[in-house]
Amino acid sequence: MTAEFVVRNWNAWAPGISSREDWLKFQVFAEQQKAAIPAAVPKTLQRRLSPLARAVFNAADGCVDNALPIVFSSAHGEVNKSLEMLKSMQKGEEVSPTAFSLSVHNAISGLFSMAYDYHREITVIAPGQDGIAPAFIEALGILQEGRAEQVLIVFYDEPLSDFYPSLPFALNAPAVCALALKISLTGSGLPLQLNRTSAHRDDGEHALQIFSFIEFLVADEQSLVLGNHRHSWEWFKK
Amino acid sequence: MENELKQLIIDTLDLEDIGVADIDSHAPLFNDGLGLDSIDALELGLAIRKKYNVKIDAEKEDVVKIFASVATLADYIQAARG
Repeated sequence: MTAEFVVRNWNAWAPGISSREDWLKFQVFAEQQKAAIPAAVPKTLQRRLSPLARAVFNAADGCVDNALPIVFSSAHGEVNKSLEMLKSMQKGEEVSPTAFSLSVHNAISGLFSMAYDYHREITVIAPGQDGIAPAFIEALGILQEGRAEQVLIVFYDEPLSDFYPSLPFALNAPAVCALALKISLTGSGLPLQLNRTSAHRDDGEHALQIFSFIEFLVADEQSLVLGNHRHSWEWFKK
Repeated sequence: MENELKQLIIDTLDLEDIGVADIDSHAPLFNDGLGLDSIDALELGLAIRKKYNVKIDAEKEDVVKIFASVATLADYIQAARG
Protein backbone atom coordinates (compact mmCIF):
# COMPACT_ATOMS: atom_id res chain seq x y z
CA MET A 1 0.00 0.00 0.00
CA THR A 2 1.18 3.49 -0.89
CA ALA A 3 -0.70 6.70 -0.23
CA GLU A 4 0.22 10.30 -0.77
CA PHE A 5 -1.03 13.25 1.19
CA VAL A 6 -0.06 16.71 2.43
CA VAL A 7 0.38 17.84 6.01
CA ARG A 8 -1.29 21.24 5.89
CA ASN A 9 -0.69 22.27 9.44
CA TRP A 10 0.21 20.69 12.77
CA ASN A 11 0.42 21.57 16.41
CA ALA A 12 1.53 19.52 19.40
CA TRP A 13 1.73 19.76 23.16
CA ALA A 14 3.95 18.10 25.78
CA PRO A 15 5.22 19.48 29.09
CA GLY A 16 8.28 21.75 28.76
CA ILE A 17 7.93 22.31 25.01
CA SER A 18 7.71 25.91 23.91
CA SER A 19 9.03 25.82 20.33
CA ARG A 20 9.19 23.31 17.49
CA GLU A 21 12.97 22.95 17.93
CA ASP A 22 12.36 21.85 21.54
CA TRP A 23 10.97 18.55 20.24
CA LEU A 24 14.43 17.53 19.02
CA LYS A 25 15.83 17.72 22.53
CA PHE A 26 12.77 16.55 24.41
CA GLN A 27 13.32 15.22 27.87
CA VAL A 28 10.91 14.57 30.67
CA PHE A 29 10.88 17.31 33.23
CA ALA A 30 10.05 16.58 36.81
CA GLU A 31 7.40 19.26 37.11
CA GLN A 32 3.89 18.36 36.10
CA GLN A 33 3.10 21.21 33.75
CA LYS A 34 -0.50 21.25 32.53
CA ALA A 35 -1.58 22.45 29.12
CA ALA A 36 -3.50 25.73 29.05
CA ILE A 37 -7.21 25.43 28.34
CA PRO A 38 -8.10 27.26 25.09
CA ALA A 39 -10.37 30.30 25.46
CA ALA A 40 -13.01 28.60 23.29
CA VAL A 41 -13.87 26.09 26.02
CA PRO A 42 -16.94 27.13 28.06
CA LYS A 43 -16.45 27.52 31.80
CA THR A 44 -18.85 24.69 32.70
CA LEU A 45 -16.79 22.21 30.63
CA GLN A 46 -13.37 23.34 31.84
CA ARG A 47 -13.76 21.49 35.14
CA ARG A 48 -14.21 18.22 33.24
CA LEU A 49 -10.85 18.42 31.44
CA SER A 50 -8.21 15.98 32.68
CA PRO A 51 -4.53 16.79 32.07
CA LEU A 52 -4.71 14.53 28.99
CA ALA A 53 -7.84 16.30 27.69
CA ARG A 54 -6.13 19.66 28.25
CA ALA A 55 -3.18 18.51 26.12
CA VAL A 56 -5.55 17.36 23.36
CA PHE A 57 -7.54 20.61 23.40
CA ASN A 58 -4.37 22.67 23.45
CA ALA A 59 -2.87 20.85 20.46
CA ALA A 60 -6.08 20.77 18.42
CA ASP A 61 -7.23 24.33 19.12
CA GLY A 62 -4.89 25.84 16.53
CA CYS A 63 -5.97 23.40 13.79
CA VAL A 64 -9.69 23.14 14.45
CA ASP A 65 -12.14 24.16 11.80
CA ASN A 66 -15.80 23.24 11.79
CA ALA A 67 -15.67 22.00 8.21
CA LEU A 68 -13.44 18.96 8.72
CA PRO A 69 -13.90 15.48 10.15
CA ILE A 70 -11.65 14.49 13.06
CA VAL A 71 -9.93 11.16 13.71
CA PHE A 72 -8.74 10.81 17.30
CA SER A 73 -6.19 8.11 18.06
CA SER A 74 -5.03 6.92 21.48
CA ALA A 75 -3.73 3.58 22.72
CA HIS A 76 -4.64 4.01 26.36
CA GLY A 77 -7.07 6.93 26.43
CA GLU A 78 -8.21 7.65 29.98
CA VAL A 79 -7.44 4.14 31.27
CA ASN A 80 -5.90 5.65 34.41
CA LYS A 81 -9.37 6.97 35.26
CA SER A 82 -10.81 3.46 34.86
CA LEU A 83 -8.15 2.13 37.20
CA GLU A 84 -9.10 4.71 39.84
CA MET A 85 -12.74 3.62 39.56
CA LEU A 86 -11.80 -0.05 39.92
CA LYS A 87 -9.81 0.83 43.02
CA SER A 88 -12.76 2.65 44.56
CA MET A 89 -15.07 -0.29 43.74
CA GLN A 90 -12.59 -2.58 45.46
CA LYS A 91 -12.93 -0.40 48.56
CA GLY A 92 -16.70 -0.83 48.37
CA GLU A 93 -17.33 2.76 47.30
CA GLU A 94 -19.86 3.79 44.71
CA VAL A 95 -18.45 4.86 41.37
CA SER A 96 -18.66 8.54 40.46
CA PRO A 97 -20.95 9.01 37.41
CA THR A 98 -18.73 11.88 36.25
CA ALA A 99 -15.58 9.75 36.49
CA PHE A 100 -17.31 6.97 34.56
CA SER A 101 -18.54 9.30 31.82
CA LEU A 102 -15.03 10.71 31.41
CA SER A 103 -13.27 7.33 31.40
CA VAL A 104 -14.59 5.87 28.16
CA HIS A 105 -12.43 5.92 25.05
CA ASN A 106 -14.46 8.61 23.29
CA ALA A 107 -14.77 10.85 26.37
CA ILE A 108 -12.24 13.44 25.20
CA SER A 109 -13.71 13.58 21.70
CA GLY A 110 -17.17 14.01 23.26
CA LEU A 111 -15.99 16.91 25.40
CA PHE A 112 -14.30 18.36 22.35
CA SER A 113 -17.49 18.25 20.28
CA MET A 114 -19.40 19.96 23.10
CA ALA A 115 -16.76 22.63 23.72
CA TYR A 116 -16.42 23.55 20.05
CA ASP A 117 -20.06 22.92 19.11
CA TYR A 118 -18.71 20.45 16.55
CA HIS A 119 -21.12 18.75 14.18
CA ARG A 120 -18.82 16.97 11.73
CA GLU A 121 -18.05 13.26 11.98
CA ILE A 122 -15.66 12.22 14.70
CA THR A 123 -13.92 8.84 14.89
CA VAL A 124 -11.94 7.59 17.86
CA ILE A 125 -9.40 4.84 17.24
CA ALA A 126 -7.87 2.54 19.83
CA PRO A 127 -5.03 1.13 17.73
CA GLY A 128 -3.83 -1.47 20.22
CA GLN A 129 -0.32 -2.50 19.24
CA ASP A 130 -0.56 -1.01 15.78
CA GLY A 131 0.75 2.45 16.58
CA ILE A 132 -0.13 5.63 14.73
CA ALA A 133 -0.62 4.14 11.24
CA PRO A 134 -4.31 3.11 11.66
CA ALA A 135 -5.34 6.74 12.23
CA PHE A 136 -3.61 7.75 8.99
CA ILE A 137 -5.39 4.93 7.16
CA GLU A 138 -8.75 6.02 8.58
CA ALA A 139 -8.16 9.67 7.68
CA LEU A 140 -6.92 8.78 4.17
CA GLY A 141 -10.04 6.66 3.69
CA ILE A 142 -12.24 9.66 4.46
CA LEU A 143 -10.24 11.79 2.01
CA GLN A 144 -10.27 9.10 -0.72
CA GLU A 145 -14.02 8.73 -0.44
CA GLY A 146 -14.32 12.46 -1.04
CA ARG A 147 -16.24 13.04 2.20
CA ALA A 148 -13.99 15.97 3.06
CA GLU A 149 -11.10 17.92 1.60
CA GLN A 150 -9.18 17.94 4.86
CA VAL A 151 -9.15 15.73 7.94
CA LEU A 152 -7.77 16.53 11.36
CA ILE A 153 -5.96 13.65 13.11
CA VAL A 154 -5.36 14.03 16.83
CA PHE A 155 -2.96 11.57 18.50
CA TYR A 156 -2.69 11.50 22.27
CA ASP A 157 -1.49 9.36 25.18
CA GLU A 158 -0.22 9.79 28.70
CA PRO A 159 2.01 7.69 30.97
CA LEU A 160 0.28 4.63 32.41
CA SER A 161 -0.14 4.14 36.13
CA ASP A 162 2.60 2.04 37.76
CA PHE A 163 -0.14 -0.50 38.45
CA TYR A 164 0.24 -1.76 34.88
CA PRO A 165 3.48 -3.67 34.33
CA SER A 166 4.30 -2.31 30.90
CA LEU A 167 7.70 -3.95 30.44
CA PRO A 168 8.89 -5.72 28.32
CA PHE A 169 6.52 -3.91 25.94
CA ALA A 170 7.52 -0.46 24.74
CA LEU A 171 4.10 1.06 25.19
CA ASN A 172 4.42 3.65 27.93
CA ALA A 173 4.54 7.37 27.12
CA PRO A 174 7.39 9.32 28.69
CA ALA A 175 5.01 12.26 29.22
CA VAL A 176 1.56 13.51 28.32
CA CYS A 177 1.59 14.30 24.62
CA ALA A 178 -0.92 15.32 21.95
CA LEU A 179 -0.36 15.95 18.25
CA ALA A 180 -2.94 17.52 15.94
CA LEU A 181 -2.26 17.05 12.25
CA LYS A 182 -4.37 18.49 9.46
CA ILE A 183 -4.01 16.53 6.23
CA SER A 184 -5.40 16.66 2.69
CA LEU A 185 -4.70 14.87 -0.60
CA THR A 186 -3.50 18.01 -2.38
CA GLY A 187 -2.62 21.59 -1.53
CA SER A 188 0.25 23.43 0.08
CA GLY A 189 2.19 22.08 3.01
CA LEU A 190 4.53 19.16 3.65
CA PRO A 191 3.94 16.39 1.03
CA LEU A 192 4.31 12.90 2.50
CA GLN A 193 4.09 9.38 1.17
CA LEU A 194 2.96 6.51 3.40
CA ASN A 195 4.21 3.04 2.42
CA ARG A 196 3.76 -0.33 3.99
CA THR A 197 7.14 -2.04 4.29
CA SER A 198 8.27 -5.57 4.98
CA ALA A 199 10.73 -4.59 7.71
CA HIS A 200 10.44 -6.50 10.97
CA ARG A 201 11.27 -4.09 13.75
CA ASP A 202 10.00 -2.72 17.02
CA ASP A 203 9.81 1.04 17.43
CA GLY A 204 7.51 1.10 20.41
CA GLU A 205 3.76 1.45 20.43
CA HIS A 206 1.42 4.40 19.90
CA ALA A 207 2.47 6.49 22.92
CA LEU A 208 6.11 6.45 21.78
CA GLN A 209 5.38 6.74 18.07
CA ILE A 210 3.68 10.13 18.60
CA PHE A 211 7.02 11.54 19.77
CA SER A 212 8.87 9.88 16.88
CA PHE A 213 6.47 11.36 14.37
CA ILE A 214 6.73 14.88 15.81
CA GLU A 215 10.53 14.61 15.68
CA PHE A 216 10.25 13.50 12.06
CA LEU A 217 8.11 16.56 11.27
CA VAL A 218 10.65 18.91 12.85
CA ALA A 219 13.91 17.21 11.84
CA ASP A 220 15.67 17.05 8.48
CA GLU A 221 15.25 13.27 8.12
CA GLN A 222 13.77 12.20 4.82
CA SER A 223 11.92 9.18 6.12
CA LEU A 224 10.54 7.59 9.25
CA VAL A 225 9.93 3.86 9.67
CA LEU A 226 7.79 2.62 12.52
CA GLY A 227 7.15 -1.05 13.11
CA ASN A 228 5.72 -3.34 15.73
CA HIS A 229 7.10 -6.77 14.76
CA ARG A 230 4.13 -7.54 12.52
CA HIS A 231 3.76 -4.50 10.27
CA SER A 232 6.00 -1.60 9.45
CA TRP A 233 5.11 1.70 7.88
CA GLU A 234 7.30 4.30 6.26
CA TRP A 235 6.54 8.02 6.05
CA PHE A 236 8.58 9.61 3.31
CA LYS A 237 9.06 13.35 2.66
CA LYS A 238 8.72 13.91 -1.08
CA MET B 1 -28.75 23.30 55.67
CA GLU B 2 -28.82 25.37 52.50
CA ASN B 3 -25.25 26.61 52.94
CA GLU B 4 -24.05 23.10 53.74
CA LEU B 5 -25.71 21.89 50.56
CA LYS B 6 -24.13 24.69 48.53
CA GLN B 7 -20.70 23.68 49.80
CA LEU B 8 -21.46 20.06 48.91
CA ILE B 9 -22.41 21.12 45.38
CA ILE B 10 -19.23 23.16 44.97
CA ASP B 11 -16.97 20.38 46.29
CA THR B 12 -18.70 17.52 44.48
CA LEU B 13 -18.88 19.22 41.11
CA ASP B 14 -15.47 20.96 41.15
CA LEU B 15 -16.97 24.43 40.80
CA GLU B 16 -13.62 26.02 41.49
CA ASP B 17 -14.44 29.67 40.95
CA ILE B 18 -17.75 29.69 42.83
CA GLY B 19 -18.31 30.34 46.54
CA VAL B 20 -21.29 29.59 48.78
CA ALA B 21 -22.31 33.27 48.57
CA ASP B 22 -22.47 33.06 44.75
CA ILE B 23 -25.23 30.47 44.74
CA ASP B 24 -28.76 31.80 45.08
CA SER B 25 -30.88 29.32 47.05
CA HIS B 26 -33.83 29.93 44.75
CA ALA B 27 -32.06 30.14 41.39
CA PRO B 28 -32.31 27.15 39.02
CA LEU B 29 -29.44 24.68 39.48
CA PHE B 30 -29.53 23.27 35.98
CA ASN B 31 -29.20 24.80 32.53
CA ASP B 32 -29.78 28.53 33.06
CA GLY B 33 -28.69 28.90 36.67
CA LEU B 34 -25.38 27.30 37.57
CA GLY B 35 -25.29 25.60 34.18
CA LEU B 36 -25.17 22.09 35.58
CA ASP B 37 -26.08 19.08 33.43
CA SER B 38 -27.46 15.56 33.79
CA ILE B 39 -24.10 14.06 34.79
CA ASP B 40 -23.91 16.65 37.57
CA ALA B 41 -27.38 15.59 38.73
CA LEU B 42 -26.24 11.96 39.02
CA GLU B 43 -23.07 13.01 40.83
CA LEU B 44 -25.04 15.19 43.22
CA GLY B 45 -27.54 12.40 43.86
CA LEU B 46 -24.65 10.12 44.83
CA ALA B 47 -23.11 12.76 47.12
CA ILE B 48 -26.46 13.35 48.85
CA ARG B 49 -26.92 9.61 49.36
CA LYS B 50 -23.45 9.39 50.93
CA LYS B 51 -23.76 12.48 53.15
CA TYR B 52 -27.41 12.41 54.21
CA ASN B 53 -28.32 8.79 53.55
CA VAL B 54 -31.20 10.04 51.42
CA LYS B 55 -31.87 8.23 48.17
CA ILE B 56 -33.53 10.12 45.36
CA ASP B 57 -35.19 7.56 43.10
CA ALA B 58 -35.44 8.94 39.58
CA GLU B 59 -38.27 6.51 38.76
CA LYS B 60 -40.49 7.33 41.73
CA GLU B 61 -39.75 10.95 42.50
CA ASP B 62 -40.25 14.13 40.56
CA VAL B 63 -36.53 14.82 40.20
CA VAL B 64 -37.05 17.98 38.17
CA LYS B 65 -38.87 19.57 41.14
CA ILE B 66 -36.44 18.21 43.74
CA PHE B 67 -33.36 19.45 41.87
CA ALA B 68 -34.96 22.76 40.87
CA SER B 69 -32.94 24.85 43.33
CA VAL B 70 -30.87 24.57 46.50
CA ALA B 71 -34.01 25.48 48.50
CA THR B 72 -36.15 22.69 46.99
CA LEU B 73 -33.34 20.18 47.40
CA ALA B 74 -32.84 21.15 51.06
CA ASP B 75 -36.59 20.82 51.72
CA TYR B 76 -36.65 17.38 50.16
CA ILE B 77 -33.64 16.12 52.14
CA GLN B 78 -35.03 17.46 55.40
CA ALA B 79 -38.42 15.88 54.76
CA ALA B 80 -36.85 12.55 53.77
CA ARG B 81 -34.74 12.40 56.91
CA GLY B 82 -37.89 13.07 58.96
